[in-house]
Formats: sequence, C-alpha cells, structure tokens
Amino acid sequence: MFIDQSMIRKVITIDPEAGIDEAKEMMRRYRIHSLPVVSADRTLIGIVTDRDVRSAWPSDLFSVEEALRQKERSAELKIKDIMTADPVTVSPANTLQDALLLMQKIHVGALPVVDRDGKVVGIISLRDLLRAFTGVLGIDEPGMLLGIVADDQQGQMKRIVDAITEERIRFGSVLVSRHWEEGKRAFFPYLFTHNVLQLKKKLEALGFTFINPLEWYLRDQPSKINKT
Amino acid sequence: MKKTGFLYDKRFLQHQTGPYHPEVPERLEVIYRGLEQRGLLSQLTIIPARPAEDHWIEAVHSVEHIRRFEEACLMGKRDLDHPDNQICEETFQTALLAVGGILETARRVMGQELDNAFCAVRPPGHHAEVNQALGFCFFNNVAIAARYIQAEWGVRRIGIIDFDVHHGNGTQHIFERDPTVFYYSIHEHPTFSYPGTGREFEKGLEAGYGYTLNSPVLPGYGDEEYRDSIEKDLVPAFDRFQPEVILVSAGFDAHEDDDMSNINLSTSGYSWIMNRVMGLAERHAQGRLISILEGGYSLSRLPELTCNHMEILLKG
Repeated sequence: MFIDQSMIRKVITIDPEAGIDEAKEMMRRYRIHSLPVVSADRTLIGIVTDRDVRSAWPSDLFSVEEALRQKERSAELKIKDIMTADPVTVSPANTLQDALLLMQKIHVGALPVVDRDGKVVGIISLRDLLRAFTGVLGIDEPGMLLGIVADDQQGQMKRIVDAITEERIRFGSVLVSRHWEEGKRAFFPYLFTHNVLQLKKKLEALGFTFINPLEWYLRDQPSKINKT
Repeated sequence: MKKTGFLYDKRFLQHQTGPYHPEVPERLEVIYRGLEQRGLLSQLTIIPARPAEDHWIEAVHSVEHIRRFEEACLMGKRDLDHPDNQICEETFQTALLAVGGILETARRVMGQELDNAFCAVRPPGHHAEVNQALGFCFFNNVAIAARYIQAEWGVRRIGIIDFDVHHGNGTQHIFERDPTVFYYSIHEHPTFSYPGTGREFEKGLEAGYGYTLNSPVLPGYGDEEYRDSIEKDLVPAFDRFQPEVILVSAGFDAHEDDDMSNINLSTSGYSWIMNRVMGLAERHAQGRLISILEGGYSLSRLPELTCNHMEILLKG
C-alpha cells in the first residue's frame, strides 16, 4: 500500500544543462514518458515530459525557412528551459491511494518520489499503479468472479466470507457495490478456485442471489438488446 | 463413412476426486452408455489405453512436476498444488494412461489406420501448466499430443481448437511462443470465469505472435455469439494457417444445462460447431482430427452431446 513498495528505484534522470535531443533519445531508449531533472547531488529541480519535448520542436505548419530557424532555436534550448520547475512530488511514505487521487487531480502520468532532503529516490507512474491494483484485485492468479446480491443490512459480508472460508476457498479480493439496487448491495469476491458449485448452493441456501452479468450489461441500455 | 477411433478404458475411472467435485468417473460411464444405447459402439474402433513413456510427458512438463505428482499420489496426498486438483493413489497412473492412450490414438490416425478419433479421457488437461497442476488438470494431454505428432510424424503445422467453456491457459502458455502450433479458444469471458485468462489481446509472444487467438463470450450468451465468433475469428485464421492436423480440446461445459458455466449453448449449437470444425479438418488437414475430452459435467447432457460429436466424426 506504500509507494515505497511499488515505485521504480532505478530512475532515469537528466541534467538541466542537457539538450532536448538527449531527452528525446533517453525517452525512446528506455520507453518512458517523463524524466526527473536533477542536480549533481540528485536534488530534484524539475520534470520534463515527452509532451514538453514535442512542444519545443518546430511544427510542420511553419514554412521551410521558418522551420529551419525554429530548429536552430530548439537546438539551443536546454532541458532547464522547457522543464516544469518544482513539480508535484510524493514521498516513499505516501500511499498508493494518495498517488491515485493526486494523479487524477493534477492530470499527470508520473510523480517523482523524493526524500526529506528533496533528493530523488524513485518514480511512480500510472503503469506502476495499475500493476499494484491488479495485484490488489488478485486477477494475476487463476480464479473466477462471483457476483452476489444481498439486502442492504449489516453483517452480509461476514456471512459471505464465512461461507467461502468454510469451503476452504482462498480469495484475491472482494469488491463491494454499495448501491446496487434500491435496498441492495452487491459483493464480488474473486475466488482462487475452479469449483464453486458447493459454495453457490450454500450461498443460495443463505438467501443470496447471483448477478447475471448479461442482464447487468444490458440493464441500462435497452438499445443493445436489438443487437443480441 | 469414416474410420473413427474411440479411446476408452475402464482404468480412466480409477481417478477419484472425492465428494463435492464435478470431475467424476461417472462422466465417462454415461458417455460410454450413451454411445452404446445409440448403437454407435459397433461403428467405432475402440482403442485401449497404455501408459505413456516419460519422455513424451517431458516434451511438455518439467521433470520436477512429473515426480512431484507421482510422489503426491504414492504418499496418499489428497490434492496436488491446489484443493481443486483432488488426487488418489491411482491418479498418476491414470494420467499416464490418458496420455499414452492419446498418443496411441494419434499414431493410428497419423498412420492412416483411422481417419479421426475421440478420446474420452480423465483427468482432463488444458489447464495444466508446464510445472503446475491447475483446474482439475495434471498433464496437458492436447499439448503432449501436438509435440508427439510434430516429433514423430514430420508434421509442422498443428491447429488446436479448444471449445471447452473455460480458457485453456496451459495450452496457450505452452505454445504462445511457437508459430507452428496455432491455439484457438472460445470460452466464457475471463472476468467472470475460471481461470481468468484468454482475453482478445492475448495473441501470442515473440515468434508466436499471431498464432494464439481467443474469443471470449459474455455469460448469458449462446449459439448465435458462438457462431459469429467462429465464423469471424476461427475460420479465417485457420484458412490462413492451414493446419496439417487438427486437435480439439472438447469441453461440453458450455451447454446451457451445465452448471459449471453461464454460457447457454444448445445441443444443436454444439453440433454446429463440430460440423464447422470438421469442415476445417477436411479442407486443410485431410480430415485428420483428434478430439480430446476436457470438461463437461452435466451427466444428463453428456451422452447426447458426445453421441452427436461421434456421429459428426463418423460422417466426416
């Protein structure tokens, strides 16, 4: 749950005095979209993204002479001229939830991770967050998803988890939809098993019903029914 | 009429899975009785099983997996790698017989003693990984058959069609880098169904890219969606690939009355698929098709489904 556990530690960084070509080449070689800009002692100064690099390059819309002039100008530009100075950062002790909400809020694809002294110790990108949350869902292991509808009252989740435990089935996650229907909740345990026949019987006997994914898919879109 | 083989051996019943398990010996008993009652047995060449030699198992699985499996059975353990994979003392020997029987069947089809065949084996195979038992499967029967045919019969291109309702993760992983074995699977959508793999974007890796093809179907759908996917995905892919032999992972658990899935294929839907698959075998593989049982758990529907399957093989 901590950024420290999901961040990339071998950060590819760039010097503020480097040229734009160098940034372009590094992004291509390492297939990354942003480079923290650091001083000699790895203190974070800024961040440069592939978008910054693209914007600094002449557009095709210019005339030939204008494009050439622009190209010369761009060639003189340094990273420090096009980077975002003082970028938003996180610390290794921040959580993945922090990073998720922050990236959503400020529309960036990666956040530099810095220690108390402002030195870069890692970077966390949307890609790293996706990997972490795939693990949280458990869907990187063989299993299947059950959709269970329950009355909206206390203790329902316990009854479901108890039934799963009694069947000695391990599970990767349980997602909860709090407002499934009026007065109903839905639970989606991801179960690490190929055999849920007995569990389903047990849950039915406890009064739970199962979600039919196709009805769910078609529910709000009657137009789709014609297609099927 | 075709010369159709039927691999069946009473020793396949020795693999016991304990209470509350759908993969039971009765599955094979009802299949056999069904064929008997429809009068098909006399038209078939019945093939008895024989144990497979280790080196053919090792063509797919790690030695460590094979020995661990054998040891678990000898030691009287109840399962291998996961409680799903229930075992008894005889399971290892039964799994060896299943593979050996399939290889004997393949030998007869490749040697033109038979045109095609159906192998009613237990335990099933398509979930088994190189080094791991999974989803009731221990040895990947269809994968071993493919490697055997390539090694012994000078065949290069093998097409595997897997219509079990669950994705054959094991088979896909074994061949995902191999451009000589095309793996096609149609199955219930992996977000809802075991084992959670087999999405459209899984198309193979490296040299094998483009030689794996998956058609996930949403739970609740049936004949029409299967027909669409098979015409749109499988048929053009196999027309391009031109397999020299077709192997089928035949799972009958997509039937509407099978409670191991929420796919609603009808009995006639199954026949339509198998006719289409036979057509591909005739067009590209000189009719050479070996079908191997995977899942299918409805004891009331298995007889009619496998009888129809057999009749299509006999008719060609």
